[in-house]
Amino acid sequence: MEPKTGKAGDWRNYERVLLPKVKDLHLLEVYEANGGYKALREILTNDKWDPTAVTNEVKKSGLKGRGGAGFPTGLKWSFMPPINPDIPRYLCCNGDESEPGTFKDRQLLEYNPHAVFEGMLIASYAMSLAGSYLYIRGEYADWITHMEGELKKAYAKGYIGKDIMGSGFSTELYIHKGAGAYICGEESSLMNSLEGKRAYPRVKPPFPAQKGIWGYPTTINNVETLAAVPEIINRGGEWFAGIGAPTHAGPVLYGISGHVNRPGVYEYPTGMLISDLIYEVAGGIRGGKKLKALVPGGSSTPVLRADMIDGVTMDADSLREAGSMMGTSGMLVMDEDTDMVSFLRRITHFYHHESCGQCTPCREGTGWLENIVTRIDEGEGNLRDLDLLIDLCSEMEGRTVCALADAAAWPVRYTIDRFRDEFEAKCKASLVPSGVELTEATA
Amino acid sequence: MATVTIDGQTFEFEGRPRLLQFCLENGIEVPHFCYHPAMSAPANCRQCLVEVGTPEMDRETRKPRLDDDGNPIIRYFPKLQTSCTMEITDGMVVKSHRSSETVERAQKDTLEMLLINHPLDCPICDQAGHCPLQIQAYKYGPEGSRFEFEKVNKPKQIPLGPEVMLDGERCINCTRCVRFTNEISKSHQLTIIERGVRNYPMTPPGITFDDPYSMNVIDICPVGALTSRDSRFKARIWEMSKTPSITTGGANGNNCYYWVKDNQIMKVTPRDNPEVNEYWLPDAERLDYKRFNEDRLQGPAVGGVASSWEAAYDAAASLMKEAGKGRVAFLGSAYATVEDNYLLTRLADALGSSTPTFIPHVENGRGDDWLMTDDRTPNRDGCERLGMSPETGALATRIENGEVDVLYVLEDDPVAAGILTAEQLAGVKVILHAYNTTNETLPAATVSLPAATVVETVGTFVNQKGHAQRVRPAKSIKGMNRTLMMEVGKSRADLHGTPFDRWHNESNLVDCQPGWVSLPAVAKRLGQGMDYRGPKYIMREIAESVSAFSGATYDAMGDQGVRLEDVGAAV
Ligand SMILES: Cc1cc2nc3c(=O)[nH]c(=O)nc-3n(C[C@H](O)[C@H](O)[C@H](O)COP(=O)(O)O)c2cc1C
Ligand code: SF4
Ligand code: SF4
Ligand code: FES
Repeated sequence: MEPKTGKAGDWRNYERVLLPKVKDLHLLEVYEANGGYKALREILTNDKWDPTAVTNEVKKSGLKGRGGAGFPTGLKWSFMPPINPDIPRYLCCNGDESEPGTFKDRQLLEYNPHAVFEGMLIASYAMSLAGSYLYIRGEYADWITHMEGELKKAYAKGYIGKDIMGSGFSTELYIHKGAGAYICGEESSLMNSLEGKRAYPRVKPPFPAQKGIWGYPTTINNVETLAAVPEIINRGGEWFAGIGAPTHAGPVLYGISGHVNRPGVYEYPTGMLISDLIYEVAGGIRGGKKLKALVPGGSSTPVLRADMIDGVTMDADSLREAGSMMGTSGMLVMDEDTDMVSFLRRITHFYHHESCGQCTPCREGTGWLENIVTRIDEGEGNLRDLDLLIDLCSEMEGRTVCALADAAAWPVRYTIDRFRDEFEAKCKASLVPSGVELTEATA
Repeated sequence: MATVTIDGQTFEFEGRPRLLQFCLENGIEVPHFCYHPAMSAPANCRQCLVEVGTPEMDRETRKPRLDDDGNPIIRYFPKLQTSCTMEITDGMVVKSHRSSETVERAQKDTLEMLLINHPLDCPICDQAGHCPLQIQAYKYGPEGSRFEFEKVNKPKQIPLGPEVMLDGERCINCTRCVRFTNEISKSHQLTIIERGVRNYPMTPPGITFDDPYSMNVIDICPVGALTSRDSRFKARIWEMSKTPSITTGGANGNNCYYWVKDNQIMKVTPRDNPEVNEYWLPDAERLDYKRFNEDRLQGPAVGGVASSWEAAYDAAASLMKEAGKGRVAFLGSAYATVEDNYLLTRLADALGSSTPTFIPHVENGRGDDWLMTDDRTPNRDGCERLGMSPETGALATRIENGEVDVLYVLEDDPVAAGILTAEQLAGVKVILHAYNTTNETLPAATVSLPAATVVETVGTFVNQKGHAQRVRPAKSIKGMNRTLMMEVGKSRADLHGTPFDRWHNESNLVDCQPGWVSLPAVAKRLGQGMDYRGPKYIMREIAESVSAFSGATYDAMGDQGVRLEDVGAAV
């Protein structure tokens, strides 16, 4: 059998670019001393970089959004309508990061905030924006305070504001402290929250590029997405496209948590073998135990059984084939002792707690899912509950304003689908006459 | 012309209408809760889902691709779409629950979800019987429920303000009430609080829901979460008859329904009229109904002593006969109908008196440039069109100068209005048509002829913008006549006239008469024939003889009234 190599090439010698090994990089002086704001200066002072050229370079890089949906970033930027001097346009950098298993943006905000600023400024130039907002979840209070200080320094240095570096280009950058809900990370909800409204997601269409913040054209990108942009300018789109999986290129932050020896955020190329990430990068399963299950990209992505990850790499194509999604590349690793019912109970609790409550199927369905899973977990469930759960997932999926209902339903559908025996085992024993093999009819 | 096919039937359309609105306008039922035509569409209830397909376009020719049979190839959206937000485009194909099992299933699912945490306290809920949730649950919902857990508990019986009571558990989170205060009344007094399944509407801290239009949220709430503190628990909806009419507390002629049980007005709700008040009604006008039930003047009186109607008419007629020519003064009323005022002007004319005047009732600052007006009367414009002018004090002078023997007052209260004092009236005989015992001119009345109010008569009012609208009797009076019987608001057709007909009973009947009954009765005794088969025929005569009313027939007015200039009346 061929050894499984993945698509990440010589990842052991990979040199980090999003979170480079530089002490105190979070300070402007240090960031500048290490080539910071060079990309911004380049595009603002070199005539070859008109806004379209910048967008094209990002397109060439193959960068896909790191916020969960994996939408091509350059393409998203080009959806902005033609410039009209009377209509301001905006960017929101999405730093609400609240999905269980996802904690990688926080790393950037803490260790490399200026890369985020610089990426936002480059995007602002590429899309000719009046300003941009960095929306950070409120719980990241310490880093928000620090970033506000750094932002002031960047303003003072003339990287942001009027006539940046004498180029004639002006744009503003604001930091906004989030309102403490997972739903604020959904892009249209984020805009409502920013406007001071209740964070209810908006109906689409109109899409943000048509009608976003304050009703003006808006682009929303994830923190990690934008932090990757300065190096795309510095080293070229081709360099970026050459890293990792060809169809899902670039460096990516893997947030590995759960039953591993060294949980943490790791920067590597996309397309890493899941097994390499678990056993080499994260030091293997705690206590030498066996792997049971893996959620590859944040709690909403379908769980994979250990036997499903063989040769699977962390990129959209490979994960789709395996039956899951890349999501935010926040990997939840579960060892052989994990109780999958209890795992699902925790996940359903989260979505129940976080549904904004706007749409009927999500508002009511998320709570019902938790009710039933809890009952099963407590040994009070019936076998028919499992079918009801799947039925409820069908009642929720694809029928709501935003994707939270899908995100809540998928874990239920796939965890039951892939670990059904564990669920059946927890259901009320009395309902399964001993010696009767479970068939659809008896279940 | 552009077309859309809905459940196999093809419709033409213009512009870019929204699918749900288009269906509503074309009489196609699409179940829904959150959508309201006057407000933004948040698409949150998810009940209006339909299957939608559009023709596959050929990129080169920009024409629809055709299949082998020459029909356009339709490509369906992979997900069901909310019809409330879907813009119709040419060639679109729509499948509602009538032709799609997927849609039927989705609607059933949504109702199942809506009901799991709903208290299902219909037996004690004011909304039961006209509740969109109840109706749709019966029509499209599942049988029974698969939900076996404790329902969510939320605050109940919470007064949001002086008029509106909240039951948080009944709320289905459609946000109509919140959108009303944000987009229509602009008071911004309501918001949704909590999150997810615990959501319910509430006022912001320190704010009372005292929006002068607060009660509109009661009507638009698709469940019984918001009820009227004034009328809750007083009558079930099926115990009441509902009569289309207008309110008379101001000059805008806001369209309403009067709800009646046992010949008492129980509540007043808005009636849609895009020309006048759209879907709304100010709280003040909803609560202005007790005067129809309470303190009603019962039966005529002569010299303060109860009499028969015949005797009272005789007395009134002889007072006027005895008066010298031109020495009967007539006071019309901007509270009374066009028809009654017209009869009064005819009588004044016949007796050689000057044209009646009317008392203006204006309260500066009461108007709000919306549905409330400074003018507190419903028919000032109608009076002026009849050639009547507002009373400026000339009447008092004439009385002071001893030029008046008899004062004939139609449905007003000159003493309370400060036009005349009791002392001034001491020397004249007064014939008074009054509604209530609280009328301050009543002690001075020689002959008292209790008058039917707007909820007991037939007639026409003209609002401040020249919009003529007719009213019908919402309840019975003692001494009904054929015209009133024909016009009166009926309760359930199958119960009408039976012992179970809540409207048709003998309780609370007021002994009063409409002006178009009592005025001709008096006139006849003075040798002035006023033979009309009812107000409709009076109005027909007015339309023919008064240029400011040309074309203003009952037919032209219909249910929604008519702008007089639109039917050719002189402005
Ligand atoms: C319920 C929900 C929560 C989300 N939370 C986040 C979040 O915390 N951070 C984020 O970047 N994207 C989040 N997203 C995705 C955003 O809507 C959006 O797709 C993303 O920010 C776009 O950025 P990208 O194109 O750079 O990936 C969320 C989506 C949903 C449906
Ligand atoms: S799907 Fe859920 S979270 Fe999203 S808008 Fe609807 S209720 Fe809110
Ligand atoms: S109280 Fe009524 S109108 Fe308001 S959100 Fe709830 S259901 Fe809708
Ligand atoms: S009417 Fe509520 S979603 Fe369309």
